[in-house]
Amino acid sequence: MSASLRRFIITRILLTIPMVLILVTMIFFIMRILPGDPIRSQLGPRVSEEQANQLRERLGLNRPLYVQYFDFLWDMVTLNFGTALTQGERPILDELGERLPATIELTIPAIIITAVIGIYSGAYAAKNRKKPVDYVIRLLSIVAYSIPVFFMGLVFQILFSVRLPIFPLAGRMDTLLLTSFQTQTNFYVIDAILARNWPALGSALMHLVLPSVTLGLALSGVFVRLTRVNMIEMLQSDFIIAGRARGLPERRLAYKHALRNTFIPILTLLGLQFAILLAGAVLTETTFSWPGVGRYLVERIQLRDYTAVQATIAIFALFVAFVSLLMDLLYAFIDPRIRY
Amino acid sequence: MKHEKETTSPSAEVPEWMLDLDRVGFVRRLFLSRKWYGGDWWFVAISAVLLLFVIIVGIFPQWFAPYDPKAEVGPSLLEPGEPPSEFILVAKIEKGEITLVDIANKSNNVGFIVGSPASQAVREVLDELNESAPTGVRYQPRQRRYETLEEGLTALTEGKLDGFVVSPDELGDSLNAYPDLQVAGTLREQGSSGFVMGTNQIGQDVFSRIIWGTRIALIVGLSSAMISFLLGVPLGLFSGFIGGPLDRILTLLMDSLYSFPGLILAITIAAVLGPGIGNIIVSIAVLYIPTYYRIVRGQTLQVKEELYVEAARSLGTSWFSILVKYIFPNVIPSVVIIFSVNVGDAILTEAGLSFLGFGLPPDTPDWGIDLARGQDYVRRAWWLITFPGLMVTMVTLSFSMLGESLSEILNPRLAEQ
Repeated sequence: MSASLRRFIITRILLTIPMVLILVTMIFFIMRILPGDPIRSQLGPRVSEEQANQLRERLGLNRPLYVQYFDFLWDMVTLNFGTALTQGERPILDELGERLPATIELTIPAIIITAVIGIYSGAYAAKNRKKPVDYVIRLLSIVAYSIPVFFMGLVFQILFSVRLPIFPLAGRMDTLLLTSFQTQTNFYVIDAILARNWPALGSALMHLVLPSVTLGLALSGVFVRLTRVNMIEMLQSDFIIAGRARGLPERRLAYKHALRNTFIPILTLLGLQFAILLAGAVLTETTFSWPGVGRYLVERIQLRDYTAVQATIAIFALFVAFVSLLMDLLYAFIDPRIRY
Repeated sequence: MKHEKETTSPSAEVPEWMLDLDRVGFVRRLFLSRKWYGGDWWFVAISAVLLLFVIIVGIFPQWFAPYDPKAEVGPSLLEPGEPPSEFILVAKIEKGEITLVDIANKSNNVGFIVGSPASQAVREVLDELNESAPTGVRYQPRQRRYETLEEGLTALTEGKLDGFVVSPDELGDSLNAYPDLQVAGTLREQGSSGFVMGTNQIGQDVFSRIIWGTRIALIVGLSSAMISFLLGVPLGLFSGFIGGPLDRILTLLMDSLYSFPGLILAITIAAVLGPGIGNIIVSIAVLYIPTYYRIVRGQTLQVKEELYVEAARSLGTSWFSILVKYIFPNVIPSVVIIFSVNVGDAILTEAGLSFLGFGLPPDTPDWGIDLARGQDYVRRAWWLITFPGLMVTMVTLSFSMLGESLSEILNPRLAEQ
């Protein structure tokens, strides 16, 4: 590892810390300063002041704001997210441990769908630039970007679940199968394979189709456009012109040489897409009653469960920062020109 | 003079018309652009026409909406174009020609089949009667429900009922079996025309709600984009121009905000602020400040090194007028593009927020709210979600298309590469 690369990595990691800190701080103060009392919304209006104070004391909400803030930061560092205020007051890490696999199970196929659609049609459009097919792909990509994810999900539900009953409407697995289904990892697909429970696996996969296709299609719009632009640039670069001059077939030039070099910028885009993916997951999970982290967040915000919301968003922030760090580092390893 | 001639001499690679574009202002650039002859103009034209129409609808929804969006104007869950069905009153022949008024006292019994829309028809007619009734009179017959038509008609012949309400289709020719019964009158005429896009679960006209929803969407989209613009652009200008530690801190702040999933941040802010159109606008506006900031700052950094800025500075122009007169005009084209895309994005985000239940008060005619409510009827009523969803898509699409094609026209060099 060269010295410059090492310097880049260290600087990049150091830059991640204030980023996460800012986000976490922002969330903390949004939840505290803006109107709305978590205790009151928790206990309802009829509880006496004494009881409210008791709960406040138990949760440490009666301490000065700065003490709470540093306490909160320390909890984040030690990954101690506390217990939820509602629904059984379970440790938040446990609750998220159940929900996160569901979200990951949904997003991995979605990312694959996005990448396949995005890269193929983006490259195809770039190769056939300014021909009708290019305009059609561009138009479709803007359409995919403009359709609300949840609307697309609802349309798929109507078409492929109500009209043509191929796929189930919502949820992760048939309730009948679920009663006899033991989960260990909370990844239903993996659990079903481990237990050699083939009907359960089939059900889990069928439940996965509509939500992941919805999320994947919704994200593909941005992806197509970015691939197309990068590919166009690449197709005009010197090495492609040189290849053309040597008489290499156009197909080979486009799909082998140009596309391969386009992968580098696309990789960083994947990192940027991650934030959009999380937002999309919130809406998709709500549409398909998918018990993932996004739905958890929405439910807890509605219940005004401040500790749970705070912790979930902090984890989101950590996740986003980590992925963008990872992508940048990967980029730096692949492309030696990227240095500070 | 001499100096200018040198800089404008066309180089071998860049055509003359492109160099011209660099010297003119934003509006003239729009008209001079070669792109207009190249084929992208119809992209702009289509989206501009669509947007013009949407804006007119948004400003004057009352011209287009046939009904009040919050009023119950018909039976619930009518399919698009389906007229409200007819209902007739069956009674004993000896009673002669009667209407519901004649048998609507508290001592009377009126029957219908369980789960049939007849119950709603009866309620509507009674509501109408009670509205016009003299004070002290209240029409409130006892309502009886029967599992089948036969049970009801038998009860009628036995005198347990004074009238039976049924639709002609349900009745068919089964009256032939009951010689002492007759059709006494029509309870509700068949509607002459249906509702263009049907009615929702509480009998509101879907079409009118969509039309009024346009206004909400435009208000939220435009004003939140305006707020982000008003905050993001000056911040970007100052930050890029002044530089130093302030610039670094702001950049870090904006970058963190930018990297975080926008919708999730908006949900949090909206949930804490509570429902209301102002709160929604604020929570969406926060998301897009970094977008303006980043672009404007980047361009400011570039432009401030230009010779003419240097010249202005050496002539003693104040930094404020340099910023306003020499740097800001260079930023306008990109900002116009972002603004256009931003309005579309904001409308999309607003729909998402409302769909999740963090948006506007529940009965507002709003696309996101209609979509969320329609979700419960996804098995029975496709029209409840299809039309509002298409509206969100269309409006967002028009704004993004406008932004996209403007960017090709205004930044021809970028597009030609």
